[in-house]
Amino acid sequence: MTGMEEYQNGSEGAFNSEETDGIVKECIENVVAGDDYSQGQVNKWTASIVERCLTQLVKQGKPYKYIVTCAVMQKTGAGLHTANSCYWDTAMDGSCTVRWENRTMYCVVSVFAVAIA
Amino acid sequence: MEGSDTYLIRPNHQHKFKPAVVKECIREIVRERLSGMRYDPEEVPELSRSLADCIKDKVKNAGFDRYKLVVQVVIGEQRGQGVKVSSRCLWDADTDNYAEDVFMNLVLRCGGFRKLLLLRTTGWMIFFR
Repeated sequence: MTGMEEYQNGSEGAFNSEETDGIVKECIENVVAGDDYSQGQVNKWTASIVERCLTQLVKQGKPYKYIVTCAVMQKTGAGLHTANSCYWDTAMDGSCTVRWENRTMYCVVSVFAVAIA
Repeated sequence: MEGSDTYLIRPNHQHKFKPAVVKECIREIVRERLSGMRYDPEEVPELSRSLADCIKDKVKNAGFDRYKLVVQVVIGEQRGQGVKVSSRCLWDADTDNYAEDVFMNLVLRCGGFRKLLLLRTTGWMIFFR
């Protein structure tokens, strides 16, 4: 119980969207690197990106549950939009969305962090 | 009995998240709002936001006590491109869950020109004590 209170009062325990932003960008770059869009690889890429992000988030040891989503779309001039709406504790919970692109594809990753207690 | 609610560590059956109920909420709103609609980059940002809000409000009032709720709407224009969406969660599989709906729209315009709208809506429910 005391542990939880310390987490909630200390800023290092709260969700940090800037730090998360960095983690997500690194995961995307490590997975996709300089590759061009490939139908055969895209399933593996999206799975690998969400799994790596989740692993890095869990390593931080914060009292959160996480939802991570990743959308990869081939560039053909088509538009892509995402929107979120959450019902949660705005003081503790948070989200972060990263947009990344290279010559042939877009990648959009969203992380939702929901405090356990 | 009511006072002891504070110490519930598991939702009772009546209030436990039911994916089928939420899927139906999503489906109903999406079909109502998007049938016959074509992709318009000017309108989609507002449309996706209002869809997400609308679904959140509906599920919020569906009687799942002590659940936090995350709704994500992804709308894309279909021009024959490849697209893939994946998600993973770290949560309590016993109490938390999700519901998802995919909607695709084919609109025939004069001269047979067509624009497709592809939409994926997901609602995640996270139980909290």
